[in-house]
Amino acid sequence: MSDAALLQEAIRVLFVVIIITAAYIISTRNLLSLVSAYALQSLTLVLIALSLWMIEGAPVLLAIAGISLITKTLVIPYFIANVQEKIRIKRDIEFHFLNPTTSLLLSMAIILVVYIALSHIMQGTEARESLFFFGAVLGISLMMMGMMVTFSRKRAITKVLGYLTMENGVLLFGLFVTELPFIIEFLIIIDLIILVILTTILTIGLDSTLEDYHKRLHRFHLVEETEEGP
Amino acid sequence: MNASFVLYMILNTLLVLALAPLFISLIKKVKAATQGRAGPPLLQTYATIVKLLKKEVVYSPNSSWIMRVTPYISMAAILVAALFVPLAFVPEEVGGIGNIILFLYLLALAKFFTALAGLDAGSSFGGMGSSREMSISAIIEPTTIIVFAALAFVFKTLSIFGMFSTSAGGFPAPTLILMGISLFIIIIVETSRIPVDNPETHLELTMIHEGMILEQSGRNLALMELSAAIKLTVLMALLINLLAPFGLATTLTAAGILLAAVLFLIKAGILAIIIGLFESSMSKMRFFRLPNLFAMAFFFSTLVIIIEVFS
Repeated sequence: MSDAALLQEAIRVLFVVIIITAAYIISTRNLLSLVSAYALQSLTLVLIALSLWMIEGAPVLLAIAGISLITKTLVIPYFIANVQEKIRIKRDIEFHFLNPTTSLLLSMAIILVVYIALSHIMQGTEARESLFFFGAVLGISLMMMGMMVTFSRKRAITKVLGYLTMENGVLLFGLFVTELPFIIEFLIIIDLIILVILTTILTIGLDSTLEDYHKRLHRFHLVEETEEGP
Repeated sequence: MNASFVLYMILNTLLVLALAPLFISLIKKVKAATQGRAGPPLLQTYATIVKLLKKEVVYSPNSSWIMRVTPYISMAAILVAALFVPLAFVPEEVGGIGNIILFLYLLALAKFFTALAGLDAGSSFGGMGSSREMSISAIIEPTTIIVFAALAFVFKTLSIFGMFSTSAGGFPAPTLILMGISLFIIIIVETSRIPVDNPETHLELTMIHEGMILEQSGRNLALMELSAAIKLTVLMALLINLLAPFGLATTLTAAGILLAAVLFLIKAGILAIIIGLFESSMSKMRFFRLPNLFAMAFFFSTLVIIIEVFS
């Protein structure tokens, strides 16, 4: 069917977009564009899920696309961008262990290793030749790349973005290889939202004294006004 | 060598000579527009080159024959390299013309002599420009080679003509998007554009390309400027005809070539506007952060090679 072939081609293009956004997330120092890159990556995942739904017709894919669209491309980026505006940090120029160039080179090696390992594992199965194999490779690599962002960045807010990228990798892997039950997908997303809220508190407060921290919490309406002391 | 190839050589060279200064002006115009200035008229670069061609050449008493031959070597190497990249019409391959490795070495030859001429006059600006250019080249050259190797892997040929005729025949490869980004970065680096070098200024300590040609004057300067413009056009043509090859003529008909030339003008105009906007949206990078930019091109093209080799 030419329609399915066209959709598969579209998925290949979306894979390329995911690679580009992942490379951008690893190497950029500008926080605002980091969040936009994450939102774009999530949107790409939504589109992949939609294309898969059009090929396979499983309703769970549609549900995943819908919930990802709402949480990952709208709510979480909006929340993080908001926090960023409040804490007035525009750049993340501090790195642990790896600078962006090394991270890029390392992620290349990761993709290669994952590719070879998976092709050995899937040797002889029918999935080896198809799109699903490459989706799985990309999913695992994206997970590793997110992990790299998490440990190579110093700021809490970029660590969270690394974690979110990791979750995108899990989702991508789940879309292509093992269909996760929808309830787990849903729970993961709730976890993500709670994580983002927690990070907001940590990012705003960790570098201050206790009193100052309270004041800041009030400023961002994170605790009730009545708790305020004299 | 058949008649159509001779015709191709004449047509391609004339086209590239005629169009090259236009894109330089267009990029300047776009940059001026984003800064709220009117900018120079579109034909300004032609006027500058004509004016420079009429002026006399002044040589520093310290300079040697290097200074005298460099503009000609640079121009000749770039013009021959321009033959390797068909702008509008892709003929049958003849001899080694179109070979990707030779193409890279021709560009490197022009660059090498430009750097030597920068050192030759003995001015400190020229020396610094040459030193920087060579440091950057030492880092970008492996990346460039990897990018072109990836192209060779994707198209299964070493000839640029072969790549263009494959891509003109409708070649569906999503990996070409990655190659496009890598090639774009190479255009920016090779033609000394903004995150790497600032083409606008003769007055900064950070200048690279302008530093090297600071001692050139008269028609020699005109040749250097024109060869830089042609290099930009050739690299742009490479990117355009690989990624958006529609309209590219593969048979020799007057109407087809004319249409292809007009289409190329439009596509290259759009690319020039994109380059101008890209330059305006960036500030010049610190010298030691440049490898980060190159690593991006390296990353994408190596990924393409991995995909092509293992699948």
